[in-house]
Amino acid sequence: MVSEVSHPAGPGNAIGRLANNSQIVLIAVLVILCVGVSLAEPQFYSGANVIAILRQAALVMIVGAGMTMLLITAEVDLSVGASLAFVGVVAMDVINITNSVAIGSLAGIAFGGLVGLVNGFVVTRLKVNSLIATIGTMMILQGSVFLYSREAVQNHHHLAAFVDIGAGYVGPLPIPVIVAALFFAVAYVLLRHTTLGRYLYAIGANQKAARLSGIRAERLKLFAFVVTGLLVGVAGLVLVSLMNAGQPTAGRGFELTVVAAVILGGTSLAGGRGTLLGTLLGVLVLKVIDNAIILLQWNQDLQMIVPGVVLILATYLDLAKRRANAR
Amino acid sequence: MTRTIAKLLLAGTAFAALTAGALAADTPKRIGYVVNYGTHEWYQNVIKGMKAHAAEIGATVEVKDANLDVAKEVSAAEDFIAQGVDVLIITPVNEEGVVPLLKRAKAANMPVVLEGNPVKGMTTMVAICDYDTGYMAGVEAGKYAKDHLGGVAKVMNVGLPLLSATVLRSNGFMDGIRTIIPDAKLVHDLDGGGNPDRALEVSTAALAQNPDINIIYGINDSSSLGGLQAWKAAGKSQDNLLVVGTGGEGLAFINAMEKEPSYKIEAAMFPEKEGYTTIDAAIALYQKKEVPEHIVSPTAPMMGDDWKKFYDVAGTTRTPKWDAINALTPPAKCMKTAADLKK
Repeated sequence: MVSEVSHPAGPGNAIGRLANNSQIVLIAVLVILCVGVSLAEPQFYSGANVIAILRQAALVMIVGAGMTMLLITAEVDLSVGASLAFVGVVAMDVINITNSVAIGSLAGIAFGGLVGLVNGFVVTRLKVNSLIATIGTMMILQGSVFLYSREAVQNHHHLAAFVDIGAGYVGPLPIPVIVAALFFAVAYVLLRHTTLGRYLYAIGANQKAARLSGIRAERLKLFAFVVTGLLVGVAGLVLVSLMNAGQPTAGRGFELTVVAAVILGGTSLAGGRGTLLGTLLGVLVLKVIDNAIILLQWNQDLQMIVPGVVLILATYLDLAKRRANAR
Repeated sequence: MTRTIAKLLLAGTAFAALTAGALAADTPKRIGYVVNYGTHEWYQNVIKGMKAHAAEIGATVEVKDANLDVAKEVSAAEDFIAQGVDVLIITPVNEEGVVPLLKRAKAANMPVVLEGNPVKGMTTMVAICDYDTGYMAGVEAGKYAKDHLGGVAKVMNVGLPLLSATVLRSNGFMDGIRTIIPDAKLVHDLDGGGNPDRALEVSTAALAQNPDINIIYGINDSSSLGGLQAWKAAGKSQDNLLVVGTGGEGLAFINAMEKEPSYKIEAAMFPEKEGYTTIDAAIALYQKKEVPEHIVSPTAPMMGDDWKKFYDVAGTTRTPKWDAINALTPPAKCMKTAADLKK
């Protein structure tokens, strides 16, 4: 059975060894970033700023948990940003119609799950490459959300429970952070400590071998797509609450941030390898960089450039790791 | 007697029909509009204004959306030229892409009205004065800060540095507020991308760094609302906050002015009026009349319930009160334009 624990690199390959310790590298990067930014701008380590970073990281982390599972099975979902916007529009609209946060939330999450189901069906049954399939879904969703509503769907009822989903606190902790932590914990247990989790790794490492071992690969991939979709539903609900309106234009580029964070966290694009802890570190590194650029009042175009550079670097390290392991 | 009246009525009807026919013959019948970003609420309402006015003169407006793609814009405009519409209206995605289009339209003897952004070689453009819009809102914000915020103005600008129009609004706002509070400070100058989730994200970090910010200015409604939502998510009270939006693009600002205690000022740009004025310009060009190079569409700062003077809202539909909007007097000339940014 394939494990998420990497084999040690051969002697003499420094890059391979470095890549094999990607989580330690990420922790070191995170510490250096935090110390460096704190020295330049002491406000960085204020409670308000730490909370702000965590709240921003929460959305990416919620969807990142599902995306990690998908990438481990060697699939990807690029429709998560478009779906995030549509979920918000649907949830806000249903809340306005029913005056019920519960029904609106269920509608939003169900919509996200449905998108995941469609993606999973197209990939596993119609055998369309997931990159292409989910780009297609992304385009369909980006267009059809405007057929659903040309304008942002405003919050008509201002129900307290709805506002709390995105802007509420339990003690000092924002609710989105608690929600993200809960889903992270569930996904962590599922991947690390269940047979299902081990099957997901096996499918990504060698689908043919996994199928010959009796694992129903297509069904498990469909499961991973649906889980990702449902998590997009949850994140969409948090975002619509934060924005106090269903915005059809929201979520542009969100999919790239999620994929960048997951790959930066050490999850292999080729499947079969990756950890949720790595994803968490990847999300934090990207969000600390985002935050630092604003605090230091640097040009905000860097917020697009830096993740791009990081993504290429992380993919290169992944390749180096696989080469090292192959020796 | 009855026969005479009948003859008079008949003659009157015939005259009315002839006059209407002559008038109709002097107005365009088919107008093509290439919008740069049709999914944005601003442009949706510009189109509503265009169609409403076009219907009054018995014309139709056909719309093609470039979706921020210059190549798509050129192709859509060429389609309209080939179809031989009476007047072509374009909101340029960028200047360079539209210059050759103007030449092609001229060769086809087709009048072109630009909306929003100027292009070299244009005949006329209908646009608001961005700097003036921000400036007037800034003056009102200064008065509010003087009366309600202890004369302190620490501003977070949720801007969009990519576009000269939005930079002018931000500059105008700060210049306007400084006429009342000379030491008003621009604490954070952010790039909110003009969209709400990006505005929310960047504002979150800025507010965490500078908790003493007391005025949020947004270059459009999405930006100001993104800033406000970041404020609320940080668990802060709106008691000593002023939010100023720009655009009056749809229902969002009305909802905010009604329900958010800090959302006090909107620099309204009346998109329907912009659309209406654009059709007026199209008619004038079609009739070969002289038109100014820049036809200014009016803007005005709205405070509190002022929006009710200009709009009726029923459900999810807002209807302009044309009498009130048409009564606004636009400035003859903008205080500053994009050309001033290059100096």
